[in-house]
Amino acid sequence: MIGGFFRVENIEKSFGGNKVINGFCLDVAENTLQCLVGPNGAGKTTMIDLISGRQKPDAGKVYLNGDDITGQGEHEISRKGIGRKFQIPAVLKGLTVRENLEVAYSREVNPLRNMFVMKATGCAEKLDEISRQVRLTERLNVEAGLLSHGETQWLEIGMVLMQDPAILLLDEPVAGMTENEIGLTVDILNKLKRTHTIILVEHDMGFVRKIADVVTVLHMGALLAQGSIEDIEKDDRVRAVYLGTEDAH
Amino acid sequence: MDISSIAFANSLILGLSIASIFFVAALGLTVIYGTAGVINMAHGEFIMLGAYTVYALQAFAGIPYFLCIPVAFVVVGAIGFAIEKSLIRYLYDRPLDTLLATWGVSLVLIQGTRLIFGSEPKYVEIPQFLSSNIEIGGLSLGVFRIFIIVMALLLAAGVWFVFYKTDFGIKIRAVTQNREIAASFGINSGQVYSFTFALGAGLAGVAGALFGALNIVLPTMGMGYVVEAFLTVVTGGGALLGSAIASLAIGELQSIFALVTNSTFAQFLIFVLIVVFLRFRPQGLISASGKRR
Amino acid sequence: MTQNLYHNKTLQWLFYLFAFGVIGAVPLISDDAFLLNQLAVYGVYGMLAVSISLCWGSGGILNMGQAIAFGLGAYCMAMTMQMQTQAEGTIPPFMLNNGLDALPWIWEPFRDTTTGIMLAVLVPTVFYLIFGGIMFTARVSGPFFAILTLATLSAFGTIFVDLQPYTNGVNGISPPGSLNLGETEIDPYSSGAYWFVFGLLVLCTVGAKLINQSRFGLVVRALKDDPERVRFLGYNVAIYETLVYTLSGLIAAIAGCSFAVLTQYVSPAQFDVGFSISIVIWAALGGRNSLIWAMFGAFTVQGAQSYVGDQFLNTWILILGFSFILVVRFLPGGFAGLVEAVLGRVARSDSQTDAASVDFSKAKEAAK
Repeated sequence: MIGGFFRVENIEKSFGGNKVINGFCLDVAENTLQCLVGPNGAGKTTMIDLISGRQKPDAGKVYLNGDDITGQGEHEISRKGIGRKFQIPAVLKGLTVRENLEVAYSREVNPLRNMFVMKATGCAEKLDEISRQVRLTERLNVEAGLLSHGETQWLEIGMVLMQDPAILLLDEPVAGMTENEIGLTVDILNKLKRTHTIILVEHDMGFVRKIADVVTVLHMGALLAQGSIEDIEKDDRVRAVYLGTEDAH
Repeated sequence: MDISSIAFANSLILGLSIASIFFVAALGLTVIYGTAGVINMAHGEFIMLGAYTVYALQAFAGIPYFLCIPVAFVVVGAIGFAIEKSLIRYLYDRPLDTLLATWGVSLVLIQGTRLIFGSEPKYVEIPQFLSSNIEIGGLSLGVFRIFIIVMALLLAAGVWFVFYKTDFGIKIRAVTQNREIAASFGINSGQVYSFTFALGAGLAGVAGALFGALNIVLPTMGMGYVVEAFLTVVTGGGALLGSAIASLAIGELQSIFALVTNSTFAQFLIFVLIVVFLRFRPQGLISASGKRR
Repeated sequence: MTQNLYHNKTLQWLFYLFAFGVIGAVPLISDDAFLLNQLAVYGVYGMLAVSISLCWGSGGILNMGQAIAFGLGAYCMAMTMQMQTQAEGTIPPFMLNNGLDALPWIWEPFRDTTTGIMLAVLVPTVFYLIFGGIMFTARVSGPFFAILTLATLSAFGTIFVDLQPYTNGVNGISPPGSLNLGETEIDPYSSGAYWFVFGLLVLCTVGAKLINQSRFGLVVRALKDDPERVRFLGYNVAIYETLVYTLSGLIAAIAGCSFAVLTQYVSPAQFDVGFSISIVIWAALGGRNSLIWAMFGAFTVQGAQSYVGDQFLNTWILILGFSFILVVRFLPGGFAGLVEAVLGRVARSDSQTDAASVDFSKAKEAAK
């Protein structure tokens, strides 16, 4: 598809006079996994916030499938098909794993209609499928607040999957996972990207290498480089930025 | 001056008096809410305890009024400290529950007082010169009300001094800004909260010492202050200056509205105005920490 | 793992059946008219506790101004009852005393009983819809919302005192006769009135429970945990909050109507801050997360209050205050939370014995 399935144009955002995002552009093709990488403070999470509606951009546009979704409310953007996983895993701690997944199955969001729905159609099957995928079948009746860190990450990925969005925004989905768990995530993501478009924020280049179709490097709130993982790893500017931060340590 | 302008000037002066009462009532709450974000529903009862402290000191020990005021500060401050240590500090991360628990405290304090002192009204005696009236060209105001205005200014100056000129004040502000970072600099936030709560309670005690002389002393006298005091603090945003501006605005507006309509309707208008204001500016006039809503 | 019986839906409904069976059977046992009237008033308090449990327990919205809906409903109902007793062309006596010579426009709709009763339910509900909508779209929440409801409640209290010619000020309205529905008179001191209120109580509680179990209820419980997260799942949180707040207002309005019918008297005391917060206390002691336990909380507290007698009233309120503090501090789930914990422990020890017996049989097999 020409023009891109999902497009971000010249986004700008400042916080208290500090320009955090500076004319960032992004073009994502359908059914690809695009990794957003960059040193700390590059504006990765802010970008995710701007796309998902948590923050409103000062200037610029966000298009999904040709639709202008800039500056809409979080729930509206979510309805348009953009699902989000937070950097610090945000699950509903007082609800069971099953209930978390059920809430996330948000095909019907009309409150008046939902008053008369006890069990959403298709929810049980989907829940079955997803909980197997994220390996939580045994834990469905456990309160989400009691899960281990890795399990919480899984659950939130599961919640995004229950939403069945056109685009998944995943903010550091493997942070704090064991090698084993990361391997499973890689499997899931590689399967998922055949049918879904994924934008993923990540530090760990090893993980990025295993999953990314396209890598976008963000630096100081602007696009620094974009291309396949091989291109990026050869890029001198990217190296300079990363080595620069290495030096600072 | 014609009559209506005299009436207007009078109502401005009365407004100043109302404002000073609101401010004195809200001062302790400002300190507690502004620092710890705690909504202390027992604040009115701290005021009531201040009034009873003065009454008891006068009735059983014959201590003169002016000496009773600092004692009320210490006594109620100590009670506040004890309540913080035994209850409030467990609830800092449960703001709704703090609100409810302090309501429970207020019930206990009212009933406890009633059991000890009975339900009959008590009276606080004040020096003769405070109970006269001053009249200047058709304007009149009780000396005691002027005394409250002066006290409001003194207390504001005192709190300002504590917050901005003392070591303890720096700690309070550090904890208000960011508890974790303050802790990493070795500030014991728990201790700071305890003393702040005690300070707020003590200020309520002083308010009680004043209001007890202004009105009669009853176990339920605090109930009348708590909602208004809260609205003043929340409208002000939890900062000292905010509370001062808010109480001035509320006092004057209420007095002017009362001139045009009547005092009950004026109160209604004030409530409605505050609710509307807070709907559009939930952080209040001057936000104490900037992150609370 | 054995399931905690507290969470078993079938058992919950059986418990409802049992509890309401007992409550409904009271007039069969006693025909003491005053007792029935008093118990029916407790039923009204129960409705209020249920309404608080719905918005606070389920949705985490602490509404300390629930007396707004209660008072508005009660006033509208009392106005309807007052107008039923007015002959054509006459106006209530207190209006004459306050210098009115014609019925104010605001009273006009209450000439007609059906309209009056509809207004008694609609006025508070619509007010909640508007007030809640305005607040929740601004993302006002938590203690802040609680304070604003209190302020609004105080505003209502003062305006009802102030509008003396229309509300009879602090004296309130006491309709001289009981409510007539068509040909039937609802005598507040009768088993009929008791069952009428009982029916409304069952309707409200069961309705609220069904809503809690629906997907709407699920979303509401989720937003209590983390409204931000729920927004990103595609739900318009403000609308959900507004609706659950409005539904709880509807229940409180029904309670207000019933109260006016039962006591034939309303006054600004119905808007009292202390009364409004005591509704929260009932729900907190009984168990904010459980509709029926919140209702029991109301029965217990109010029942005990009237049976300790005036002599011990002060001590009783002292005890009440202390137990409220203790519950908030140590038992946020109230009595229901205690029951849940005990049943949870039973379930766990059951499954442990199961596990132990499995181990034992394994050991036996190994021994063979």
